[in-house]
Amino acid sequence: MRDFTSLDFISLVRARLAPLRVDPAREADIVGELAQHVAEHHAELVASGVPDDEAIAMALAPLDDRDRVAADIARADRPRVTAPEPPPLEGSSGSSVAGDFVRDLRYATRLLMQAPGFTAVAIVTLALGIGANAAIFSVLNSVLLKPLPYADPARLVMIGERGPDGSAGNTDYTTFLDWRDRAHTFEEMALIRSWQPTLMVNGEPERIAAMRVSWNYFRMLGVRPALGRDFRADEDNPDRWRVLLISDRLWRRRFGADPSVIGRVVKMNDLEHTIVGVVPPAFEPLISEHFYQPADMWGLVGYNVSLNYACRGCQHLKAIGRVNAGTSLETARADIDAVQAQLRRQFPAEYAQETMTLVPLQDELTNQIRPALLVLMGAVAFVLLIACANVANLLLARMARREHDLALRTALGASRGRLVRQLLAENTLLAALGGGAGVLLAATAVPLLAQVAPASMARLADAHVDARVVAFSALMSLATAMAFGLLPALRASRIDLRDAMHGETRKTSHAPTSLARRLLVAADVALAVVLLVGAGLMIRSVERLLGVDPGFDPDHVLTMQISMVGEAYRRDEAVAARTDEMVANLRALPGVSAVAAAGQIPLGGNGDRWGFHVQGRPVTPEDPSVERYSVTPEYFSVMRIPLRRGRLFTDADRAGAEPVMLVGERTARILWPGADPIGQHVRIGSATTGPWRTVVGIVGDVRHQQLAAPPTMQMYTPQGQVTDSFLTFVVRASGDVSILASEARRAIWSVARDVPVYETAPLMDLVARSVGPRRFVMLLLECFGASALLMTAVGLYGVISFTVSERTREIGIRAALGASRADIVRLVLGSGFLVVFSGLVVGVIVAAGATRYLQGSLYGISPTDPATFATVVALLFFVTLTAQSLPIARAMRVDPAVALRQE
Amino acid sequence: MSHDRELRKGSAELLILALLEQRDRHGYEIAKLIDERSDGALKFHVASLYPTLYRLERRGLIRGRWVERAGTRRRRFYRITAEGQKMLDSQRRSWNALFTDLNRVARIRHA
Repeated sequence: MRDFTSLDFISLVRARLAPLRVDPAREADIVGELAQHVAEHHAELVASGVPDDEAIAMALAPLDDRDRVAADIARADRPRVTAPEPPPLEGSSGSSVAGDFVRDLRYATRLLMQAPGFTAVAIVTLALGIGANAAIFSVLNSVLLKPLPYADPARLVMIGERGPDGSAGNTDYTTFLDWRDRAHTFEEMALIRSWQPTLMVNGEPERIAAMRVSWNYFRMLGVRPALGRDFRADEDNPDRWRVLLISDRLWRRRFGADPSVIGRVVKMNDLEHTIVGVVPPAFEPLISEHFYQPADMWGLVGYNVSLNYACRGCQHLKAIGRVNAGTSLETARADIDAVQAQLRRQFPAEYAQETMTLVPLQDELTNQIRPALLVLMGAVAFVLLIACANVANLLLARMARREHDLALRTALGASRGRLVRQLLAENTLLAALGGGAGVLLAATAVPLLAQVAPASMARLADAHVDARVVAFSALMSLATAMAFGLLPALRASRIDLRDAMHGETRKTSHAPTSLARRLLVAADVALAVVLLVGAGLMIRSVERLLGVDPGFDPDHVLTMQISMVGEAYRRDEAVAARTDEMVANLRALPGVSAVAAAGQIPLGGNGDRWGFHVQGRPVTPEDPSVERYSVTPEYFSVMRIPLRRGRLFTDADRAGAEPVMLVGERTARILWPGADPIGQHVRIGSATTGPWRTVVGIVGDVRHQQLAAPPTMQMYTPQGQVTDSFLTFVVRASGDVSILASEARRAIWSVARDVPVYETAPLMDLVARSVGPRRFVMLLLECFGASALLMTAVGLYGVISFTVSERTREIGIRAALGASRADIVRLVLGSGFLVVFSGLVVGVIVAAGATRYLQGSLYGISPTDPATFATVVALLFFVTLTAQSLPIARAMRVDPAVALRQE
Repeated sequence: MSHDRELRKGSAELLILALLEQRDRHGYEIAKLIDERSDGALKFHVASLYPTLYRLERRGLIRGRWVERAGTRRRRFYRITAEGQKMLDSQRRSWNALFTDLNRVARIRHA
């Protein structure tokens, strides 16, 4: 028997082992140990009678697969933890709270860089949540919160009789003078009214968006002209009112920013007006924009009480006042109420029994948009909550994997407070990154929002991410860090040291974390239900609205507005004759099948209500106001408004013929219930003057103000008999009507070169515009709903994946013991299903309560519409099922062998 | 079942820690003891034992050092650390729990 020395076995082992690629000293150590093992094995085999050569071969046999053995050993021997060095513990030299924080941040940065996947998902999630909030807050800030850009805007109020919707109604000149003289709580009061003059410059007519105001209007707003002077009190009367202030924009556009424009005389509606001042460029014409259109020109009201349209009851003016400094709105309201009560006693026939109201100007200007914005703000808060829940979830999962590390640090003497601070530093860093990305996202999104926003959200155009928004986002990020970070941090501080140190045994020690994560996902699901129900209700509302029959057919109709004002159009006959010529010219255009002119059209954005007095009935202040349309005969065939009874207008219904009119169905039903209005006589406007008009037909109702509002009372008069000079042409043609616009404009100008043509648009656009605000809310809710859905799916996917990987061994054992695939699917699905189910139940309950805040924006659908709820629940169920399918597939592929070998 | 081998391998650490709980041992002795005590059902050889030992050492659960006693070969002896002891305790608990679970779910009784 040969005597092998250890040295011989060392060379035998080394010859069989591939290089380990570890430290050479360590390699020698390992080879020595293996050689010693082989030697002992060999010695034992020889002792038991195995021939020497055979014994050597047997002892060395396990090393035959040289590469694998070397790799196994090298992997096992390599240091396992490559995590960054954690910051020093408390009590070490140079420790201070600030220093700790900086060190924590540095450590956190390295940790986050080490987990790029986790970091990216967390930051993107937060950026979505915070970005959506910052964007909507930017809008809210500029539209609702930012004070009006006028001096001391909180004291500016609209004054008027309280309307059914709480707004301040119109007033008349004489009543206004009484208010101004008798009320003592107002520093200033001013009137405004609409005005659409046609400015002639170099032979080109241009309709100017303008407004007539009291002489003290700009003084009341605290605005001084940048050039020239303000209006003067002695100019605000019928003789001297033709002086103008113009906008900076108009000054630059039409007058080349020429300073000598002051004193310049311009011709408008054939009358000479003198420009006396230019308003500063920063002035925002919000009042004119809200009530009429953003004004580029201001003239004086210029009334006195002798004018017949200055009468009590001639309510076509709006009053704005500035309440005295230190006077409350209530005091001022009581004051004006008392004045109005006096007037009612003095002139009982002139005033209906209405109380007065003062509406803060800011509220008046934002009342239409406020509910929608608040709904959106609520919706983005939900998005943020979902983002928080998801990030908290991510952190919890991460925490579970880091328990070992944290426990080690505790073992080395870190206090729990210290650990919580370290974790909060990580969360703060995440929130700061997410918040920063969110602000960038908002800065990109806000201009896009401004583009898709409806025209009624005027101030949205200047919405931008400013200091206030950044401050808001910073605050929100901080709150978010606390909200999503507290749970994992507290959880980490309670880690059971002993359990965690051998955390790799994959025991059930994560149960509380697991529960928290499940609760968070359930919350995700619940929040997503609420958001999606909101979005679903809005989608259905808009669908129903667009499906509403407006009472006319807007397809293939071009609309264009003109105004015939000035000396040439003083007489109605001239206007009527020109109208007929224009209609004939338009009718001759190729592809045109019918043409009409109307004083106003439905959904055109104006209103023209006239008093309606039936012959033989007593005249009362409660006589109805009825929407009036002055139309040419073909109007009903262009608009496809059906005739219900009687006849339509013909060319014979002109001045000099018997005055006739048509009424809408609603008018007929309300004023002649159960009776036939045809042949009845009606006086419109004044109850005491003007001809009696004979009702000759009943036509279908149209939706005038907006699609969502039920039809109002309506009547039609022939343009030949009640002649309007502000007209809208409606042209029905085949094909795309918008390409007809320039030809149509030429057709009108060939009749009269001095007529401005404006607001040319397909009728379909007007219909769409009327749905604009709802469509805007719908679009945003859809975005928020989609991100909620996505985040919920990701959150659920994360939790189920984690569960599967946590339970791989269990699944492996079950598989090994013969569990079928169906059993395993049931096992995994069961854990996810409970989460989804409880989330759905809570979500449906919360949604049922929350959707009533959406009520104002809904149309034709109940806030608790069962179909919407069912669809959302089904959608979420499907999405969550899909989110679980990947981990389930993984669970089914679990190889029991691999699973059980796992450490 | 072909999973037996894997199952045993998964529990290798537990076995090693349990053997070292009694006293310090060197690699060959550990392999032999496992072989003997399982009546040859569990076998470790040089290529499978040492990776496991090195991994346990790296994780601070056992510590090895070279010992040269008079008249014997120079051998590397392993000793269980405090961490290793904790790990062993908890492994015992979790295996117990696992068997209880198995018993409940699959109605397996273990000895």
